[in-house]
Amino acid sequence: MSDKNGSFEPRIVAFLCRWCSYAGADLAGVSRMQYPPNVIPMRVNCSGRVDAGAVMKALEKGADAVLIGGCHPGDCHYVSGNYKTRRRIILLKRALSEVGIDPRRVHLEWISASEGGKFQKTITSYVDLIRSLGPSPVGLAKGQDSGSEETEKVAVGVADAE
Amino acid sequence: MPNSDGPKLKIGVYWAASCGGCDCALLEVNEKILDVAAAADILLWPCAADAKYSDLRDYKNGEMDLVLFNGAMRTEENREIAELIRAKTKYLVAFGSCAHTGGVIGLANLSTREEIFSRVFGDKANWPELEVSQNGGTLHLPEFLNTLTPLDAVVDVDYYVPGCPPPVGIVSDLFGALLEGNLPPTGTVFASSKNLCDECAREQEQLRISQILRPHEQEPDPVKCLLDQGFVCMGPATRGGCKAVCPAANMPCTGCAGPTANIEDQGAAMLNTLASLVGTGEEGEDQLEAEDAILAQLDDVVGTFYRFSSATTLFKGRYHEPNATG
Repeated sequence: MSDKNGSFEPRIVAFLCRWCSYAGADLAGVSRMQYPPNVIPMRVNCSGRVDAGAVMKALEKGADAVLIGGCHPGDCHYVSGNYKTRRRIILLKRALSEVGIDPRRVHLEWISASEGGKFQKTITSYVDLIRSLGPSPVGLAKGQDSGSEETEKVAVGVADAE
Repeated sequence: MPNSDGPKLKIGVYWAASCGGCDCALLEVNEKILDVAAAADILLWPCAADAKYSDLRDYKNGEMDLVLFNGAMRTEENREIAELIRAKTKYLVAFGSCAHTGGVIGLANLSTREEIFSRVFGDKANWPELEVSQNGGTLHLPEFLNTLTPLDAVVDVDYYVPGCPPPVGIVSDLFGALLEGNLPPTGTVFASSKNLCDECAREQEQLRISQILRPHEQEPDPVKCLLDQGFVCMGPATRGGCKAVCPAANMPCTGCAGPTANIEDQGAAMLNTLASLVGTGEEGEDQLEAEDAILAQLDDVVGTFYRFSSATTLFKGRYHEPNATG
């Protein structure tokens, strides 16, 4: 997606766990912390709920990157969901690099409910990183600048499956 | 059997980009093939019968009742004949992994056309030319497509018969339904809707996987679940219907039957499953390094999880980062 001046504005889907990272995002919001508006947040019950297929689908439907936020090790509300998603993302990143997609386009971060500041910093630096990587090669391969509408649709699809 | 006085059924078999294994699998139904031959005329079968493309073009639209189409779309010729066959038949069956999900040859999409040609023909001077003039005539070779796709990416498909090659029981079911005039609703996949584990006889304890093994590294225990032993068996994400023949022969499932009815992405489903199972037996921050070491034992992530289905997913090609250097 490009703005009026033709510069690249990344579109990032963020899967945030309900107990930690989503609450962290809320805290950033109520504390009026400023961060770039490039992120579409999706609340999931646990980062362990984030299917590798959902991440791939977001990339396929036009997201330039996918951020997954979960509880710090030892803090998972469901004991071990964050460890499961961690292992999943390791394998998924390897699969992405095997097909030439920069694995940094998928990122896992531990953000607790009290870390509004960390949420703000994570989003800010991640948007910068993706901006420097450029638009997703998946979208470029489709030969089209898929609109943000598509990404919204994916996000809704995932929410419906909850 | 249809009444013997009625008109005979007209069927066809075609191969596109395939190895010929699917054609052999048809004959594995043994004497049932005689019932088929008695009830049906075979109007097209390049592997075993004599009909030419000119005959196919002469058939009326919808003249054939059913065509079993094996192989993926690799060349312009595959695509052209698929479209032609679609017009000439009432029911089109994607027969075998390649027509169903792209098959193992879908992994060729991870290499560029140039890389494939260099590998096969060597020096560029040896690459085939699309047009060759000889003795006053011109011969044409079909274009090699950039991306290999399954059959339904090109034409509408009525039925799917999965497997590499399709197991004899399923082929038999299909012939039975055809001969009895009892075909299911279109879109049906002729196989179980459940996963392979459902029909596998091995004993499962759902152990954590602390070591990822490949079949050549260790002889699997013939009784215990292969995943429990650390072999990447695609059973949990793969459609059943083959009676789990590979696990019964002490080989892990490689996923040729494609995803089960309830999952969209077979490889992602298996990746999730394996990632959930990997572990040292204890969960905690101090185990993370050990878990990474176990995951590192898995070679070739896409080739393992998407061995037969890469052509239908995000992994249907190799991508190029816009700002990559070097």
